[in-house]
Amino acid sequence: MNIFTTAFFFSIFRIATPILLATLAAVIGEKGGVSNIGLEGIMMMSALFGSLTAYWTGQWWVGVLCAMAVGCLEALMMGFFAFRLKTDIILTGTAVNMIGSGGTLFLVKVITNATEGKSFASTTGLITKIHQIPSWNIPLIKDIPVIGKVISGHSILTYIAFLLVWLTAVLLYKTPLGLNIRSVGENPNAASSVGVSVDKIRFITIGIGGVLAGLGGAYMSMYYAMGWSLDMVAGRGFIALAAQSMGGGEPLGSMFAALIFGFAQALGIKVSATGVDSNLVAPIPYIVTILALIVFALIQRSNEKRRHERALS
Amino acid sequence: MSKKNSLKFSIVRAVAALGIALAVAFLLIFVSADGATFGAKLSNSLSALQQMLVRPLFKKSGKFASKNFCDILAGMIPIMFTGLATCIMFAANQFNLGAEGGIMLGAFITAVVAIYCPLPGPLLPIVAILAGGLAVAIVMLIPSVLKAKLGVSEMVNSLMMNYVIMYILNFLMNSYLADRSKGITQTYAFRKNAILPQIIDNGSRFSWGWAIGIIAVIVCWFFMYRTRWGYGIRMTGINQPFVMYSGMNVPLIIILCQVIGGFLAGMGGGIEMLGRYEYYNWSALPGYGWTGITVAILAGNNPIFVPLAAFFMSYLTKGCSLMSTNANVPAQLIDIIQAVIFLFFAAQQFLSGYRQKLVIKSAQEELAAKAKASGERSDA
Repeated sequence: MNIFTTAFFFSIFRIATPILLATLAAVIGEKGGVSNIGLEGIMMMSALFGSLTAYWTGQWWVGVLCAMAVGCLEALMMGFFAFRLKTDIILTGTAVNMIGSGGTLFLVKVITNATEGKSFASTTGLITKIHQIPSWNIPLIKDIPVIGKVISGHSILTYIAFLLVWLTAVLLYKTPLGLNIRSVGENPNAASSVGVSVDKIRFITIGIGGVLAGLGGAYMSMYYAMGWSLDMVAGRGFIALAAQSMGGGEPLGSMFAALIFGFAQALGIKVSATGVDSNLVAPIPYIVTILALIVFALIQRSNEKRRHERALS
Repeated sequence: MSKKNSLKFSIVRAVAALGIALAVAFLLIFVSADGATFGAKLSNSLSALQQMLVRPLFKKSGKFASKNFCDILAGMIPIMFTGLATCIMFAANQFNLGAEGGIMLGAFITAVVAIYCPLPGPLLPIVAILAGGLAVAIVMLIPSVLKAKLGVSEMVNSLMMNYVIMYILNFLMNSYLADRSKGITQTYAFRKNAILPQIIDNGSRFSWGWAIGIIAVIVCWFFMYRTRWGYGIRMTGINQPFVMYSGMNVPLIIILCQVIGGFLAGMGGGIEMLGRYEYYNWSALPGYGWTGITVAILAGNNPIFVPLAAFFMSYLTKGCSLMSTNANVPAQLIDIIQAVIFLFFAAQQFLSGYRQKLVIKSAQEELAAKAKASGERSDA
């Protein structure tokens, strides 16, 4: 059986999109010295509210905007605890993930009970084709054989995600704000000594991350799956952290790392279609994450060694 | 700050954090309560809150609810172990979140031993539980060695491993271990002598595992506060370069604390299995690992406070489940309450203004006492 069909490569991009969006959030966060492990919970929350608003208004784009706003709000709340009240950022993230897991289920039950008169445990019954984020057949490119079938016809958010890779790079390296973000991440004391408001920059950093994770959440509940269900993000927020460190913390490198995860998962889906127990296939992305982190650490280590040797000789 | 004021501050801060959490809980209950008018909603949510806070211990008639109380004590068992595991790992600043997968793996291994090993009498549960603990301790070598040797984030690795463990166990269940004569996926029954005896046999599953948990608490406290290695672990959390320059083996400490944590989590899983169930049927991560983190935060990473924190969390869980059956408020409210408590407890700057005032006050008291003492001396 031929695995590597155009549909397979198409699915890599489809699967990698939410990971890529979260990865960009992690990239900006780490550049600003904010390791946000709450991305998972933020994605869950924004996925929920995105799908609900899309259902209420009947407009997918309102849902996407709401998901972004919810993501940003939750990230800023994390920032309040982490930067103002000095809760450890990792514990703050863990709390957000707790809310993202059981808390979202509480919210969806309560909200649907109030609006629909019956409490649902997911929004899969509410979201239909009309609430889905539309996909885009790129003119001209869609007619190119093979390539057209792979890169055309994705959801709009997929294209936006790849555009955001470029925008993130521009933001970080070509704008004054990016310089501030990087300097706060590198050395907050130095940044503050030249008059940069460290807290303000950190809030902006985590807020942008929240918006990006919110987009990822919207993609999950309004395109990847139809509607929100419990634990649907399934560790993508954590995989994003791994992709960030694999990509060396740079937007472009992290994009390729996210694509590797997309590839691993797409491969898993293909393999499970041949009749292998899905429980053997499902852990593949997580195992790839661990292996990738090891390989990345080894490479980094040997680079460092070489640098030291060069410095000595 | 003087000891008295420092204690006063801790208490005020804890009460304030719990108060805020309860206020948030009340708000959410109010939103979700039935009732057409504001007044009806308010009275409904007040009765729901009462369900959550009072009903776990007292029946409607005002009598002591002994069955519920046993349920709460039984509910402490797994989270005491994950709480202890998290305490020891977090004390060394190792943010290993693997207690969640660890307790599942420990439960599974213990179950397998309890089904297939024909050991006599009380030897079987002991071997089974130790096997569960050992298996998780070995698995925890992966994130800890990678952290110590390569600097790979133990947090991301342990999180990933939770998922891997869950899926692999589900695969093993589906393919090899399931009892095909049953409608749902479950193993064969444990051997009769594997099952832990109950302290009070009233259906609460309040087993002697609870006593083992208390013993584990004492042993962990002794280890952390009265031994060289425990000191090393705590110091690594406070000031890692200091530990390194004073000649302790930091990589070994990093590995050690996570292996011990893994062992405790695995043991907890095994004890929960043999104390509560007759066969293994978990198909998803049980959530005890996350509650364990809250327990560790509430206990301030000090093992001796773990039973108290575990009791509190178990009480709230019971309260929330009672509330969901009697007052139509979803039981998952517990996750939100937990997160709020957690955030405020771990917040260093929470009530920092009040703390500052106390510091000034005790400094002034000290100065006054000194002045008085020196005044007396000059008089004499």
